[in-house]
Amino acid sequence: MSAPVLSRSAAAEQDPAVAVRRSKKPSETTWLIAGTVLVGLLAVVSLFVGVSDVSLPRLLAGDPEAWDLVWISRVPRTLAVILAGTAVAVAGLIMQLMVRNRFVEPSTVGTVESATLGILVVTVLLPAAPIMMKMGVASVFALGGTALFLAVLGRLPARNTLLVPIVGIMLGGVIGSVTTFFAYKYDLLQTLGNWMIGDFSGVLRGRYELLWIVAALTLAGYLAADRFTVAGLGADFTTNLGMNHKAIMRLGLVLVSLISAVVVTTVGAVPFLGLIVPNIVSLLFGDNLRRAVPWTALFGAGFVLVCDIIGRTIRFPYEVPVGMVMSVLGATIFLALLLRTRKRHA
Amino acid sequence: MKTPVRVVLGAFAAGASLLALTACGGSTEAGAQADSGKTVSITHAQGTTEVPVNPETVYTFDLGVLDSMTALGLEADGVPETKYPESLAKYNDAAVAKIGSMKEPDFEAISNGNPDLIIITGRAASSYGELSKIAPTIDLSVDIKKPLDSFKEQAGKLGQIFDVETKVDEQLAAIDTKIADAKAKSANAGKGLIIMTSGGELTAYGAGSRFGLIHDVLGVSTVADIKSEGAHGESISFEFLKTNNPDTLYVVDRDSAMGTSGDAAKAVLDNELVASTNAAKNNKIVNLDSNAWYMVGYGLNNTEKMIDEVAAGL
Repeated sequence: MSAPVLSRSAAAEQDPAVAVRRSKKPSETTWLIAGTVLVGLLAVVSLFVGVSDVSLPRLLAGDPEAWDLVWISRVPRTLAVILAGTAVAVAGLIMQLMVRNRFVEPSTVGTVESATLGILVVTVLLPAAPIMMKMGVASVFALGGTALFLAVLGRLPARNTLLVPIVGIMLGGVIGSVTTFFAYKYDLLQTLGNWMIGDFSGVLRGRYELLWIVAALTLAGYLAADRFTVAGLGADFTTNLGMNHKAIMRLGLVLVSLISAVVVTTVGAVPFLGLIVPNIVSLLFGDNLRRAVPWTALFGAGFVLVCDIIGRTIRFPYEVPVGMVMSVLGATIFLALLLRTRKRHA
Repeated sequence: MKTPVRVVLGAFAAGASLLALTACGGSTEAGAQADSGKTVSITHAQGTTEVPVNPETVYTFDLGVLDSMTALGLEADGVPETKYPESLAKYNDAAVAKIGSMKEPDFEAISNGNPDLIIITGRAASSYGELSKIAPTIDLSVDIKKPLDSFKEQAGKLGQIFDVETKVDEQLAAIDTKIADAKAKSANAGKGLIIMTSGGELTAYGAGSRFGLIHDVLGVSTVADIKSEGAHGESISFEFLKTNNPDTLYVVDRDSAMGTSGDAAKAVLDNELVASTNAAKNNKIVNLDSNAWYMVGYGLNNTEKMIDEVAAGL
């Protein structure tokens, strides 16, 4: 069959980046460094966006008030954006590899909805619970929801590209409607809305540090990257290579669920990110997970930084939640991706 | 299969409405019989409606109207399903007919109850068409662009309908006195900012908003020209709070309106940036009763309560 050859040449034609990488392989490190510098620049811009007056001259003059603002408000927010962006994108990538489907991410398979249901349950039953406990319960719910998705998926006779995300979205819808029902019953719909739309406006020193947990989880995902690639090829294949398929799947499940739960409890749901970033990376750099993880992390951080900067400036001095900006940008990019994929197959 | 279920349901509904009728009989019977047959023409937000004077069975979706009726010694016979604050606690009783949620009427229950008058406001305003097919329906929404005048007008209409105009005038005069007192205090109280906390995030409300009473009527000056249109405020950061530095901070704790922890807003505002504002330094962070401000709104008793809360913080 000539299909692989065809698709490869088509991809190379459409994507100059792919062609460049093929012809001069060592330059990928250079690209990575350039990308890191770019994200670094975005981070610096992010540090200087805000309602209060924090300008370079004031900082250089050693103005204590300006420096206070930097440490209390600016640095935490930028760090939170980078940490959440990185982690959610990588979680999406892991998930896509585990189920071998490009249109899957924690917010389309019920993981995020389950985490939200978890927070709601704690809020109703134990309103004064400490944040760690809320997060713990959210994680347990996220685990349960994701496991349910994987179990349903395992029972599906055919796993075509569209069926998997449809099953995920349906499951997410069911869990989401249970959540909405209880939120309605306890008059928590508005609070629920705030959880479901990612927003960094409440981030201050002392309010985002939990996100360092997801940094550790993302690193773990990177280290285990090759295993997820193998596990995605199926239980028999994995076992033939002498690895424990169930254990790998369990690891992926725990990583994705914990990342989703921590991000939802600290800043809220960040839609589309885990979907579009891994897709862009795979279009540009192919499917080797170990290599894709740094790129995914970089793109994820950069994308959320851009969205947060837009959200903070578009209605200055007020804010538009990052989740809303991301939905608009994300939906546009995702649609473009879908159309492009169809063109290639045609 | 279907008919028996319907019969049972119908019988149940009939029983329920009978109960409701007997329950309300005690309170409004005397007035109702005296004025039977008379009507009054009420012009409201969605048209003009002929309304019976002293209607026997009154359904309302608005807690502000309910509050006014309580202040006037009246009772509603059908109310929305919600958690009622203490001032309206008697409507938590399952014996009072429940006619849907505050936003979505339960048309079947309303139709079965045969009300003589339905009073709606903003939250249920879009159901006006269907509701007016069931019974005379009036929309007594308070226009938040000119809250006081609008509220007085709506209260006056209640006075006409229930034939208690002198009582309404007395109460409105009492409110005017309170407003004058608060205004005298607010002139020297510096600038104020109204925020709502929900899920760890802040929304700011300005003049002309649902909480605009504070600026528009009581004369508290604003820290910024917040152009929030309608019911929703503007999402803000803590830096916005610090930079605009209000002398008084009025806080509506959305999460405590739902009977969760009342300290939710306190936890959100407990940080270094808020601590650097004049409001925090001078201990002028005023926690508004979220039931009064968010749930009930403009009513003859509740408006006094809202003014008192603002005045106490001035």
